[in-house]
Amino acid sequence: MSEWLESAITRAQGIHDWLAPKRAHALDLLAKTKWPTRKTEAWRYTPLRPVERTPAKMISDKVDLSPVAIADLSAIELVFVNGQFDPAQLANTLPEGLSIALGGDLESAQQADALNTFSTIKPERHIFGLVNDALAQDVVVVSVAEGVEIIQPIRISSLLSPGAESHTRVQVSLAAGSRLTVIEDVQAQGDSFNTAFVEYNVGTNARLEHYRFALQTGSNVAIGGSHFNLHDHAKMNSTIVGFGSELSRLDTDIIHAGEFADAKLNAMYLLDGKELFDLHATVEHAMPNGKTEENVRCIVADRSRAVFNGRIHIHRDAQKTLAELNNRNLLLSDKAEINTKPELEIYADDVKCAHGATVAQIDKQALYYLQTRGVSRSKAQVMLNFGFINELIDLMPNAALAEWIRPIIRERFAQMEVK
Amino acid sequence: MSNTNSLLTIKDLHASVEEKQIIKGLDLDIKPGEVHAIMGPNGAGKSTLGYVLSGRDGYSVESGSVTLGGEDLLEMETEDRARAGLFLAFQYPVEIPGVSNLEFLKASVDAQREARGEDAITSADFLKEAKAACKQVNLPVAFLKRGVNEGFSGGEKKRNELMQMLLLKPKLCILDETDSGLDIDALQVVAEGVNSQRSADRSFIVVTHYQRLLDYIKPDFVHVLSDGKIVKSGDASLALELEAQGYAWLQKEPTEDELEG
Repeated sequence: MSEWLESAITRAQGIHDWLAPKRAHALDLLAKTKWPTRKTEAWRYTPLRPVERTPAKMISDKVDLSPVAIADLSAIELVFVNGQFDPAQLANTLPEGLSIALGGDLESAQQADALNTFSTIKPERHIFGLVNDALAQDVVVVSVAEGVEIIQPIRISSLLSPGAESHTRVQVSLAAGSRLTVIEDVQAQGDSFNTAFVEYNVGTNARLEHYRFALQTGSNVAIGGSHFNLHDHAKMNSTIVGFGSELSRLDTDIIHAGEFADAKLNAMYLLDGKELFDLHATVEHAMPNGKTEENVRCIVADRSRAVFNGRIHIHRDAQKTLAELNNRNLLLSDKAEINTKPELEIYADDVKCAHGATVAQIDKQALYYLQTRGVSRSKAQVMLNFGFINELIDLMPNAALAEWIRPIIRERFAQMEVK
Repeated sequence: MSNTNSLLTIKDLHASVEEKQIIKGLDLDIKPGEVHAIMGPNGAGKSTLGYVLSGRDGYSVESGSVTLGGEDLLEMETEDRARAGLFLAFQYPVEIPGVSNLEFLKASVDAQREARGEDAITSADFLKEAKAACKQVNLPVAFLKRGVNEGFSGGEKKRNELMQMLLLKPKLCILDETDSGLDIDALQVVAEGVNSQRSADRSFIVVTHYQRLLDYIKPDFVHVLSDGKIVKSGDASLALELEAQGYAWLQKEPTEDELEG
């Protein structure tokens, strides 16, 4: 076990609150977990040295930080600063049918519910998920009442000062027939360390629109997960945008716990310098008639490294499942690295499951077409490479977010191309 | 044969694709403002000619020469040929998801203006021009926002090609089987667009298998391409003759002298 983990466990043992049984369980599991090495499959391409030597520390003094404004987006802001929930940034009045509260402040019946679902959607195999179970101080619980549609998106921001350590956790529950949009964002300022996990319980016929922006770069260590449990006829549409950092690791789990659930996941990442971004996406089709569509696209420049592990597990009873996984990667430099692994495990016999992973150069026909119009080869290459990512931006359901992120990605892309 | 007034002069062109010879000694001379139709059976090398002239990868010229406005076309990169005034309207325009039609059109126009030493056009002015061009080719303005040709029908793709031509104002347009896959209404729209662009300083090569398109775009000259060479040339009436006869007579491999005699 690493020194870092030992000290984390020691610190966690000092926390005594409503989550005590769950935290104790996580600590038990952590004590039995081997610190991942290159031989640990889930961490094979993502060495944990940056965690072991992180200078980041918990900062308990109050720091004033607020999330960046996004034009044309009016969100309900749920803000953590250096791991602490900042209630002052939350609107005084919330739309009817929506509740956002610290788990510790809930009434006993609701608190018991929250305790019961805590860490049941996020699988126990995520070692930093367990760390987060044990160390996330302010656990915020978001719930939408049955049949209620919340028009305003909720933005969960985890903001970090330079050198700060933070562990944030949100539990989101959509009751039957409800609708909600949630944006997860981490904004860190260097040498920071954070784990940010959110669990979503999406009720029967409920609709979740989800975004996760992992745009921290540089010397930050950012580890987190978004985990979804889908009941009958639930629908989710998730978009992940990632830039790399010294170590960025994201785990998503989509669990089809009900029939006729429908999940879409579009993920794009653009890496530069010596950055690393690792996405592990797992889909569990436990019940019949589910549908999953995953599109993961990645562009790597310079000496950056991308990891994608896309697992689809179709259980024996999950007949009539339709699952598609498409992973396309572009290399802009011969020193950059892409490690992609689709993993399909299918135990039902009447399913459609397709997957493809490519690491490629750009489409020659399209390049020629642009050139015949007078566009130079180099400019055409930039247009096509950006188009490769832009296609997924076009699919983002929220126009304000798409128009906000598009120039940010374009800018980053331009920097990547310059080298 | 060399004529200083010529816009395009092709002399004894031999070209191959993937080691296979397709163009086998082709000569063609086009003056500004002329419309030349090139007809011929499938496999004669009609599309290859457009690809060779535009400089597509994999199409190599073995011998012969091509000049556009007196400049050696074969020495130029594909984009420089376009900037020199060559425009190829594709038989199968390429779909480019993720690159918007407007961005594509603006990049094309910008590149050509820059090459001519003209100032860049502002985005607002360009949008106006592009909208007007949309209207002229009967495409909804919303198509500017969509990915290049993405999910367009056959007719919409051809009209999008035409729109590019309107905006780029080339000197020489090669229309490669522009009529394929078009119904009669779409054909008329495209033909009207082409006719509106005919002028004393713009020439056209209309490549087609059928005479039908030439009812709408009246050519000054008609050439029959067979097995990589022009085997017969004439005026517009030759197209009607071909329509009546078909291309079967070409199989007999008559000599050029017999045909021209």
